[in-house]
Amino acid sequence: MDKGSTDQPTSSLLYSSLNDNVTMVTKRLGESSDLVVRHISINKTPCAVLYMDGLVDKNTVQEYIMEALMLDMPSKRASVKALYEKIKTASLPIGELSEVEHIDELLHRLLSGETILLIDKEKKALVASTKGWRDRGVQESTAESVIRGPKEAFNETLRTNTALLRRKIRDSNLRMDAKKIGKMTQTDIAVAYLEGTAEDSVVRDVHKRLENIDIDGVLESGYIEEYIQDAQYSPFPTVYYSEKPDTIAAGILEGRVAIIVDGTPEVLLVPALFVNFFQSSEDYYQRADIGTLIRILRLVCFCIALFMPALYIAFTTFHQEMIPAPLLISLAAQREGVPFPAFVEALIMELTFEILREAGIRLPKPVGSAVSIVGALVLGQSAVQAGLVSPAMVIVVAITAISSFVIPAYNMAIPIRMIRFVFMVLAATFGLYGIILGMIALVFHLCSLKSFGVPYMSPFAPFVAKDQKDVLIRFPHWGLFSRPTSIAKNNETRTNPNSKES
Amino acid sequence: MTSSWVRISLIIICLSLLSGCWNSNELDELGIAVSVAIDKNDEGDYLVAVQVINPSEIATDAPTNRPPVSTYSTTGETLLDAFRRLSAKSPRQIYFSQMRLVIIGSKLAEEGVMPSLDFLYRDHEFRTSFYVAVAKNAPAEVMLSIVTPYEKIPANKIMNSIDNVQKNWGVSKGVSIDKLIADVRDKGKSPVLPGIDLLGDPEVGNNMSNVENVDAPTKLEVDHLAAFKEDRLVGWLSEMESQGLNYATGDVRSTIVTHPCDDEGTISVEILRTQSSMKSKMDGSTPEVTIMVEAEGNVAEVDCKIDLGSPESIQEVNKEVEKQIEKTIQSSVTAAQEELESDFLGLGSAVHRDNPTYWKSVEDEWDQQFTELDVSIEVKAKIRRKGNSTQPINKEG
Repeated sequence: MDKGSTDQPTSSLLYSSLNDNVTMVTKRLGESSDLVVRHISINKTPCAVLYMDGLVDKNTVQEYIMEALMLDMPSKRASVKALYEKIKTASLPIGELSEVEHIDELLHRLLSGETILLIDKEKKALVASTKGWRDRGVQESTAESVIRGPKEAFNETLRTNTALLRRKIRDSNLRMDAKKIGKMTQTDIAVAYLEGTAEDSVVRDVHKRLENIDIDGVLESGYIEEYIQDAQYSPFPTVYYSEKPDTIAAGILEGRVAIIVDGTPEVLLVPALFVNFFQSSEDYYQRADIGTLIRILRLVCFCIALFMPALYIAFTTFHQEMIPAPLLISLAAQREGVPFPAFVEALIMELTFEILREAGIRLPKPVGSAVSIVGALVLGQSAVQAGLVSPAMVIVVAITAISSFVIPAYNMAIPIRMIRFVFMVLAATFGLYGIILGMIALVFHLCSLKSFGVPYMSPFAPFVAKDQKDVLIRFPHWGLFSRPTSIAKNNETRTNPNSKES
Repeated sequence: MTSSWVRISLIIICLSLLSGCWNSNELDELGIAVSVAIDKNDEGDYLVAVQVINPSEIATDAPTNRPPVSTYSTTGETLLDAFRRLSAKSPRQIYFSQMRLVIIGSKLAEEGVMPSLDFLYRDHEFRTSFYVAVAKNAPAEVMLSIVTPYEKIPANKIMNSIDNVQKNWGVSKGVSIDKLIADVRDKGKSPVLPGIDLLGDPEVGNNMSNVENVDAPTKLEVDHLAAFKEDRLVGWLSEMESQGLNYATGDVRSTIVTHPCDDEGTISVEILRTQSSMKSKMDGSTPEVTIMVEAEGNVAEVDCKIDLGSPESIQEVNKEVEKQIEKTIQSSVTAAQEELESDFLGLGSAVHRDNPTYWKSVEDEWDQQFTELDVSIEVKAKIRRKGNSTQPINKEG
């Protein structure tokens, strides 16, 4: 399990003198103020308990280490060796207890929140796992809210996150391979997958890519994502992430591999296909019919968010003959007196919206309402009244903005936001012709992408008839008889369709 | 890697900048034309008038007293010449793709419309779905400068009226330019076009005060059909002849057939569905054309003593309706063969369809042949419903 930590360079061993060891540790840590060193004496043998304040659960240290060592030890003096063995085997009522011989290892364990027991004349140190620091607890998901379905979300603690997954999948094949990445942060990483279901090649690939990472620190799973993603220069994400345990568990059940990064509530999931970003876990909790319709709606919204401003520009500046006469008259009337060309008008409004959106995210909550007032009233209404933009353009920008929020995965909404401007430029220079050219280029690009060896656009390109049951349409659960073949080729069967009530 | 990226992005930047937005027009730079009037003046030059809409007057919450449309007219040696001369008068580039209607002046119609149709059909800016009509009692350009009540865009008013007349009455019909051209080129069929009448004083109609009246003093009205021979106007059909033509070609969707009953009153039948076919048969060496019309309808208005409860009287009504429709069609056939000598019914096409070999031999002298053609008319009428009451409400007892 501890593959990541064993390949550290073998360093100097511990001294036999307690004082030497303690001095060494305090020196190495630069006499840091949060290092607690408690000298005690067990049966007249000098010992020291070391821990980092704030990283340990003080109650555990107090009750199960200090009390056990200071109060409950028999008074009969024994040899150091016997004392060490006794403490190791019998005296410490702590679940995780191990021993270390190397100083670097000791320091690392100390800094991870474990408690070290050093005994004079003993060249090994006992390490008790007393990790315990303040975390948020398991709270309701804020970024991906659902109406029906589990509300809990991952938090920043790796162990909590793995436990959340274990609670959902009680299968002995669920693997949690541990890794440490980051020369300084030594961030714990767990690679979770179902052995026998996930493709071995993908699991190997994940391990290989993670091991190749050479970085000083990992503070968020985004660091990892940028190292392991396939298409480094594509705006489209090839790694899925979610902060909901049920979403990640569903991915693991399909044969995907999850990467949990300590300190990050967002868990990565690979391989990620284009269609995954348009699916929400709630599609599977609500009835199949509405799940299907919502998925189609999302795809429509994807198109609106991507093409609407571009189409508006193309139609109004190049292809007026394609607009029905009453609409054309209405649009023309709105454009009377607008000082900018349609493209500039669209650009101004889209930029304004992006500014408002960014301001809204960063601002503290009490100021946020001020921004929405300025945004909605001043920019929306007054700009129209002042004749700077046409009302139709405001509608176009609004529907574009709202449509981009329909896409459940935030990281898929980002390429749409960026590519939208490219399409607007194409529309302003070439009209519909430019939009079609851009679309062709976009489709080429999407089809060229891969995520951990799986074609990004599958099951559309290459077309897999069997997998269409859970892409645009969602079959009822008894109809989802096999795992997606592009992801899991072994252990395909998911359900017996005949087990439903007929 | 880097150089190829640089090259690709240079190409993209150049492509989008060098293209220079050719053909791009902002909406507020366009004068959207909804109808065009074409005529010839006495010098033989084309006279062109264009009706452009004033969008802010049409789509607005706060209308001012400016007119919703403006008309510009000019003359030119050719149509294109005249259209380009309009730019001197119009503040905006005139945009023809949304045009709904072309009104042809009677002088041009009598001379032949084909040369002007060529331009309207050839130019990519024109759609091929606009209606063509003939100005009957006023110069075509005057028709365009009438402000119409109720419907702000006069071209829409005319177009809607043509459609409504065709749908509810059947004495006129809308003819789009591609149909007109097809008919002109078809040797077995001559085209017809709806006529437009101007009622009242054009000077008054040109002024916004025209529409400030509840009953506008100057109005535009859809008239019956104008019959052409090849591309030249040869005469106007009467109401009955126009309706007969529509029956024969299956263009009557709904109309009213009124016939006397019991010598004292009338009974009106609302025709709801008609179906027509034209069949040709060779009778020895001469062809014979049969026009078959099936009509279905309801009894709509009864002003005589008749017992609609009995099947016999329904039969009676059926017969009367058949007789009326036959008479209507016959009047049209007579007009075609004797008065105007123009095969606007498309009898030649029927012969062409059913006897192609014979048609080949007469194709070129069909104009003379056709006046001698035997035409028989068969009408079948069927009353479907009698309305809410079986008996006339004034029936005693």
